[in-house]
Amino acid sequence: MPDWKTYVRERMAPWRLKPEEESGLAEEVAQHLEDCFRELRSGGAGEEEAYRRTMEELDNLYPLRAGLERNQLLPRYDAVRAGETSPGTLLEGIWKDFGYAFRSMRKSPAFVLVVVAVLALGIGANTTVFTLINTLLLNPLPVRNTAELAAVAAEDARNTRQSEAVFPISYADLKDYREQNQVFRTLAGFTSVRGLTLQEHGVAQGIFGEFVTANYFSALGLEPARGRFFSPDEDTVAAAHPVAVLNYAAWKTRFGGVEDIVGRPLQVNNVMLTVVGVAPPHFIGVNAVFGPDLWLPATMAERMVPNSMQNLLTDRAKTAFLGVGRIKPGITRGQAAANLRAIAGTLARQYPATNDNHGATVRPLDDVLLSSSGGTGASAVYASAALLIVAAIVLLIACSNVANLLLARAAARQQEMAVRLAIGASRPRLIRQLLTESVLLGLMSGVAGLLLASTGIQFLFGQLPGWANFPTPKLDATVLIFALGMSLATGLLFGTVPAWKASRANVAEGLKEAGRTAGRSRRRVTMTNALVVGQVAFSFLLLVTAALFLKSMGRAYAIDPGFQTAHLAVFPTSPGQAGYDKTRTKGFYQDVRNRVSRLPGVQSVSWASGMPLWARTVTGLQLEGWQPRSRAEQIRTVIETVDLDYFETAGVALETGRVFRSADRESSLPVALVNGKLARDNWPNGALGKRIQLPGEKMERQVVGVVRTANYTSWGEPPQACVYVPLEQNYTDAMVLYVRSQGNPETIIAPVGHELHAAGPQILVFGTRTGSGIVDGGLFQAKVAVGLLTTFGLLALGLASIGLYGVLAYSVQQRRREVGLRMALGATRAGVLRLVLREGMSLVITGMVIGLVSALAVGRLLSRLLFGVTASDPLSVGAAALVLSAVALAACYLPARWATRVDPLTSLRDA
Amino acid sequence: MNPNVQDPEWKKGSAELLVLSLLEDQPRHGYDISKLIQMRSGGALRFHVTSLYPLLHRLEKEGLIDGRWVEKADQRRRRYYHLTAPGRKVLRSKQQGWRDFVTAISRITGIEHA
Repeated sequence: MPDWKTYVRERMAPWRLKPEEESGLAEEVAQHLEDCFRELRSGGAGEEEAYRRTMEELDNLYPLRAGLERNQLLPRYDAVRAGETSPGTLLEGIWKDFGYAFRSMRKSPAFVLVVVAVLALGIGANTTVFTLINTLLLNPLPVRNTAELAAVAAEDARNTRQSEAVFPISYADLKDYREQNQVFRTLAGFTSVRGLTLQEHGVAQGIFGEFVTANYFSALGLEPARGRFFSPDEDTVAAAHPVAVLNYAAWKTRFGGVEDIVGRPLQVNNVMLTVVGVAPPHFIGVNAVFGPDLWLPATMAERMVPNSMQNLLTDRAKTAFLGVGRIKPGITRGQAAANLRAIAGTLARQYPATNDNHGATVRPLDDVLLSSSGGTGASAVYASAALLIVAAIVLLIACSNVANLLLARAAARQQEMAVRLAIGASRPRLIRQLLTESVLLGLMSGVAGLLLASTGIQFLFGQLPGWANFPTPKLDATVLIFALGMSLATGLLFGTVPAWKASRANVAEGLKEAGRTAGRSRRRVTMTNALVVGQVAFSFLLLVTAALFLKSMGRAYAIDPGFQTAHLAVFPTSPGQAGYDKTRTKGFYQDVRNRVSRLPGVQSVSWASGMPLWARTVTGLQLEGWQPRSRAEQIRTVIETVDLDYFETAGVALETGRVFRSADRESSLPVALVNGKLARDNWPNGALGKRIQLPGEKMERQVVGVVRTANYTSWGEPPQACVYVPLEQNYTDAMVLYVRSQGNPETIIAPVGHELHAAGPQILVFGTRTGSGIVDGGLFQAKVAVGLLTTFGLLALGLASIGLYGVLAYSVQQRRREVGLRMALGATRAGVLRLVLREGMSLVITGMVIGLVSALAVGRLLSRLLFGVTASDPLSVGAAALVLSAVALAACYLPARWATRVDPLTSLRDA
Repeated sequence: MNPNVQDPEWKKGSAELLVLSLLEDQPRHGYDISKLIQMRSGGALRFHVTSLYPLLHRLEKEGLIDGRWVEKADQRRRRYYHLTAPGRKVLRSKQQGWRDFVTAISRITGIEHA
């Protein structure tokens, strides 16, 4: 008697039933077969024939398997693939999937190359943006436990609503906070980065420094890379300890990374310093964007920058420091702020002249990290989010491109899927396999994208001046994790739908077809078209936004800043930092004026205390007959010290009265000019003859003229007050030379620089620029926004065009039979061209309409950033539409031309 | 095979009714059921082992029949199926449904019930 049970078990083995189910079923079926065999034998059949006829019962196992599947008796995991003996664990299965995916990709290298290239662009763009964010915002300080750190700044005690700007405190106040507070473990202070003059081998160079308290480095928890930091006794007596700590990158680049740097003398601002140590690598102070080359004790400030930092350590009205410290465990920022406010209240009662209504606030470190570059935590987060969104849109377009490619590829792999389903693969198993392929593609693209990002970042940071003051880009574990996550998410995003659709292949159809003419299912075509329309819509959105910003920037350039820029060149100097006293400095100013005014091409020359658009404002201006009732009512004003001929040189128009003249000397009546804003706000009947008193001055000045209001702190700013005082009546040891040229100001840069050097060889001239350079600087942020939006917009458009081209090319290939038929029935080539173009352009137009609606909505959100341009500006929209249509038409044209080349005979024969 | 009983869809639709009917009188095992169907249909209907046992398991899972292993002396143990109470209800309903169906078809096609 044959062993029926063994036969049955062998046939059912691939299904991996549960032992108890298999045993019962095998026994039943075996008994059935035995009964059948016995009956045949007893009916007269021979053993061989009876065996053969009995075994016919097991010929087609499919109904049994299908029935078991319906009854959910089959296990969750797939049957063993042919050629393998056991399915192994899940991890082993996934590892095998990767191997299979890799082998599958090796067969289609062109496809893999296109996918990886497209995705690498998207992933690279996102990784670049994230690296910037990681470098500037996420833990920019290379110190431990940054969560404990907080910044201390001043606030108006009457208005504790936190403003975006960060206000400094005085050294004396900081010292009291440090000694009296109960909430900080350590509290240190630092100034903003200052330009200083390094004198080496008789040559003056610019160098940046920060003045800090002795406990600055220890409060941050840093260890020196070389030597030591400041000791406590170096922060007690003014000017007693001329020591310095170098920035690590400055040590490497400016000083050659020499081993004997500790103990080296440095002459800075005519003071001989000794280097005592080097800060650790990547530390650029409590600054995210721009840091100093060296740190100096706060007690050295007055000696090194005497003009602006006189009495810095004792005068509570001189606010130059921000605090940074570690809050004690268990204390919140709010509690810390309350404690400091209480101390501030005490100080206000003790020193009402300087500290009345002075409060203190404890702020997140982010607010301070960006304040030196004019930003705030909030604005940085806003800009970062906007950048990430734009980069993500580009990646979405790339993903939808690849999804389309995979959908097309899935249609071509129907036969492969059908065979796999027929021999026992389950749908979840197939989906897992296809997703593995997508994830592998995603990971490969991630690696390529990371390389692109790394190159891009190096390029971007390489554009910065070669100083040691900028942060080094951080391509660290955080960025790698981001890139990895992005790669995985990308793979899953573009792979899920195609995998799901491919796994639903019809087994019978797939096995019948040769696989070549996979056909266009209506649903797949709709999804493909929807993806292309989406890509076009996103691209149009970006392009319109870029066009709006471009036009806005054009308008911004056209703004009249109140001073002339076409023939202007400025040369900042600092004789005081070179050790010049008052007499020598005044002599220098006069000498330079004489020399430069004689140069050919120079129309007029003057001096002013501030660079255009770099002014700072102060409070405390007092007007005749008016007293502010509180500190909140005080006038905030710009104060400029200017020499004779300034207004003519800078092109600032006189409205009434007169400009300064040579009779306005130190010994004569103190005079001032005011701008139109200040005049009209306070003296509607005329400002001439009125008296004002500047903060820090004891005498009153008489207003002798009113000049046109200009831009002082930023391009296109709202009008603000400004007071001008003559240089002869307000000596400063750092002034900017203004030169008005007859022609192009670039031509006088070198000759003027030569004269400046001749007049004062040790004096540093740093930051020379022409009027157009000033304008560019003023519009820097706008230019960056336009540059980024245009780049991303064109990138998105390029990707969308590739997608459009791919979809149409595939469509033409699939419709060859139809096109052949049309031509056989009399359609002309022109007609076929129109047919295909119409198909492509209808997708483009649909996408543009959707993109336009989105652009209008986005434009409304961004309208406050636009200069004199509405969100629906027809010129911008039209320009973007033109660019997109032209590129899209080009993308559609090639496939359309292919369609006209279809040979009707060949296509119909092949069908 | 009777050339008149060709449509596999008819066979598929009546399989449950056949099996439940055969279990109405007494418990039977799978081979018994398949032989009875073949004999009583005059060879027109035949269920291979690969379609019969999934059907039996499904009916058992639905609670319409119940299977039990029975071991007799000198024999391999067999699984006998019997009709459950819900199974009887379903059988009645299917029988009535089948009668109505045949009547309707007969009226339209003019075929008289034998």
